[in-house]
Amino acid sequence: MANQAQLDRTFAACAHPIRRGIIERLGAREMTVGEATCDFAVSKPSISKHLRVLEDAGAIVRVIDGRTHRLRLTEHALDDAQQWMSDQRAIWERKFDVLEDYLAQQRARRARDSMSEAQRDSDAAGGRERGSARRGKDAG
Amino acid sequence: MSSRELTALRLERTFAATPEEVFDAWTSPEVLARWWAAQPAWTSPGCEVDLRVGGRYVLRMRDENGRVYAVGGEYREVSRPRRLVYTWCWEGTDGPDPGAVSLVTVEFHPEADGTTVVLEHSGLPSEQSRTGHETGWIGTLENLARRIFDADERS
Repeated sequence: MANQAQLDRTFAACAHPIRRGIIERLGAREMTVGEATCDFAVSKPSISKHLRVLEDAGAIVRVIDGRTHRLRLTEHALDDAQQWMSDQRAIWERKFDVLEDYLAQQRARRARDSMSEAQRDSDAAGGRERGSARRGKDAG
Repeated sequence: MSSRELTALRLERTFAATPEEVFDAWTSPEVLARWWAAQPAWTSPGCEVDLRVGGRYVLRMRDENGRVYAVGGEYREVSRPRRLVYTWCWEGTDGPDPGAVSLVTVEFHPEADGTTVVLEHSGLPSEQSRTGHETGWIGTLENLARRIFDADERS
């Protein structure tokens, strides 16, 4: 089970369109801060804040090369969140499986019931015929 | 980013039954108990279902060592046989996600040969989504994880 605090940080890191945008861009390749953050139409301090959140979450790392700051995604950046996701998916897949079995059993039971009901009906019909024949005989 | 990409965890399956049958089975304590006995050796010591808006449900499971895990929540929408919405929260402090409240939306779509169930489990606490925070980050993560890391996710 993933560390809760780390999971919170990872999800928080992804809970903003600009941060998701940066992650998506860095998914293609390593970039300079300028390349990774251009065209977001927000202030520089705001961009810095988003980068800090991503760095704190361990989603990205910053490599300082002289005056150039380069950003890249951490190799296993979203692993814990993805594990959490697949755990959730497994829980619901199992519910679908159980539901499918249950509905199939219900269907089989209904089919059995209607067959034995038909059997009862035909027995009852036979009985009525025999009964009326008997009554006819009695009357005669 | 399109709204499609911002969807929460989403599953879909078609069942050979009417929407009423599937809806009733979905909320049946018998089905819940079978579902919740998650491992062969595990048991479900009981499920409670109060199927009405504001009503609560609790599902419990007990592992082979006798430890009980419980998940519960509140029904937010009960529209038989088309739609069901409820909150989802693990009880106790040592569950998978202690204290995290998420939201489950289940839709039952009638088809020619049965009923398609569409389930969405969004992980963002409803309190947060009400105040206008980003929703659906789970799906985004999933998409990202798949695209960026090419993880072997079942489709």
